Amino acid sequence: MRLGMFFREALRSIRANAAISVAATVTALIAVFILGAFIPSFMYVRSAVSAQTSKVDVDVYISDTASVKQVNVLRDKIGTLKTDGQVAEFTYVSKDDALRLMRERLRDPSVLDQLPSNPLPAKFNIQPTDPANANAIVAAVKDDAALDPTEGIVYPQTTADRLLTAAKFVQWAGFALIGILLVAAVLLIGNTIRLSIFARRREVEVMRLVGATNWFIRWPFMIEGVICGLVGAVVAVAMLWGIKVGVVDAWASGADTALTKTGSAGEAIAFPLLTVVLVGAGALLGAVGSGITLRRFLRI
Amino acid sequence: MARIDDDIHDADSTQRAFTLVEVPPETVPADLAVVTPPSGEKRRRGDVFRPGPGPMVQFQGVIKRYDGDVRGLDGVSVSIAAGEFVFLVGQSGSGKSTFIRLCIRELRATSGHVIIGGRDLGELRRSKVPYLRRAIGCVFQDFRLLPDRTASENVAYALQVTGHSRQEVNRRVPEILALVGLDGKGDRLPRELSGGEQQRVSIARALVNQPRLLIADEPTGNLDPDTSQGIMDLLTRINRTGTTVLVATHDRDTVDRMQQRVIALHKGRIVRDAEGGYNEDPGDTGEIA
Ligand SMILES: Nc1ncnc2c1ncn2[C@@H]1O[C@H](COP(=O)(O)OP(=O)(O)OP(=O)(O)O)[C@@H](O)[C@H]1O
Ligand SMILES: [Mg+2]
Repeated sequence: MRLGMFFREALRSIRANAAISVAATVTALIAVFILGAFIPSFMYVRSAVSAQTSKVDVDVYISDTASVKQVNVLRDKIGTLKTDGQVAEFTYVSKDDALRLMRERLRDPSVLDQLPSNPLPAKFNIQPTDPANANAIVAAVKDDAALDPTEGIVYPQTTADRLLTAAKFVQWAGFALIGILLVAAVLLIGNTIRLSIFARRREVEVMRLVGATNWFIRWPFMIEGVICGLVGAVVAVAMLWGIKVGVVDAWASGADTALTKTGSAGEAIAFPLLTVVLVGAGALLGAVGSGITLRRFLRI
Repeated sequence: MARIDDDIHDADSTQRAFTLVEVPPETVPADLAVVTPPSGEKRRRGDVFRPGPGPMVQFQGVIKRYDGDVRGLDGVSVSIAAGEFVFLVGQSGSGKSTFIRLCIRELRATSGHVIIGGRDLGELRRSKVPYLRRAIGCVFQDFRLLPDRTASENVAYALQVTGHSRQEVNRRVPEILALVGLDGKGDRLPRELSGGEQQRVSIARALVNQPRLLIADEPTGNLDPDTSQGIMDLLTRINRTGTTVLVATHDRDTVDRMQQRVIALHKGRIVRDAEGGYNEDPGDTGEIA
């Protein structure tokens, strides 16, 4: 019942201050739109980077002269790393397997027929659980007797390091940007609502003087903020949906499919989830913005 | 003086005075049930400001300085018992409004104690101030109406604040507006009302919660003598139900006619506190030029 009254008060206030309400709504719209464009981009880049990092694998080449026993010792070593949780997956690639793989990869496999014997060493292909573990894995196996003296261990160290740095950067930059965006949006909406309250500070003063508690005054303003935030968010989501369907999806389906096939494409956020997040953000922006702003005016 | 004023008044204001003074009996039951008594309201304990026994209003050495060392009040000590009817007089700038604004804690005393219903307002927590204000009906010198709300909505706001249901608001607001002679004007915005009509909306709002203490700052300042008389009669009747009434005014005729306790202020000090007229001693500093 009270809520109904506060809601009516909020609607009255929106009607009485139409221009300011529109300004607050547009502010929320812009903030949510930017947020809504940024979040999927950020998620996409982040997942693309981590897709790359997951392909950082370690090849441990085995000497042709290594005995079966020595190879089993090495296998056990890697198996221990797996039980420790450093290694996600590892496979043994025999000399024959290696040759077959090479044959598949070459444009003209017939060159391999010229070879007198199979020059390719056998290897363990190790997928680290995290690219950051690669160094530890290398350290654990690098002095093993079964290792091939010339090939040894091969893993794309610089690529791994760069990708790791990139992933961290993308992550922190993304969070920082989202944080800045949210703060800016709260301040913007707060400022707009401050206009509304400033225009009505005499009114708030009178309400206080006839015995209204701070919450009695605050509720309608907060509901007003939430309504503006929600309307702005819904319009922003509609615009984002239009852009997604009309531009992004169209581009993605027309784009080089090889890109996605090779797995270098990242996953963006699902649109329904994004909608929920953005509408929630809009409502929260409105409530927090007006809540913060009101405090200054309720001190009479 | 009042007689002469009466004679020169035109039909319109007489008509207004008539509706104000002689409200039909079914609207106002004899023993001033000014409005329908509040029905059982659900309130949290401790949320109601209940005046204790002892004086309703007590000032102890109250000094109020505004910025720039302007003295609003300069050492006022006075006591007003529950149920009294008191006039606060004094020339412009003597500190009447300051006195009143201290009572509802719109202002805080620079030093000294303002005690309302036994509660020292200097120690009242900010969150409790609204409950103090609900127990006091206040008519402001500058009306303080909400500009975007009609007369009815302005009065209704005071009821909504105290948690009355919509039905109750709908029932009581027309009653109280009729009581102050504003029936039929409930749907007007303050800017569509005359100064005197706005003042009566302000009075209606102060009365509607049936306060224990009614404070009015120049409640007849914009009214013709007939209407002023009607307002004073109304205040007297409210006082008879046990409500303490404090009226700040310049209106010599009214004060002289009522023969009640008069507290005279001059430059922030009490210069006289006695029963009687506005100014019994012509050389008194409490006089208005
Ligand atoms: N907000 C303020 N800031 C500074 N000085 C003020 C303020 N309000 C009142 N004063 C000063 O305090 C003194 C008392 O003012 P107050 O309003 O109490 O007088 P008053 O008796 O109500 O006058 P009036 O009959 O004109 O309403 C005056 O000198 C006035 O100028
Ligand atoms: Mg005054």
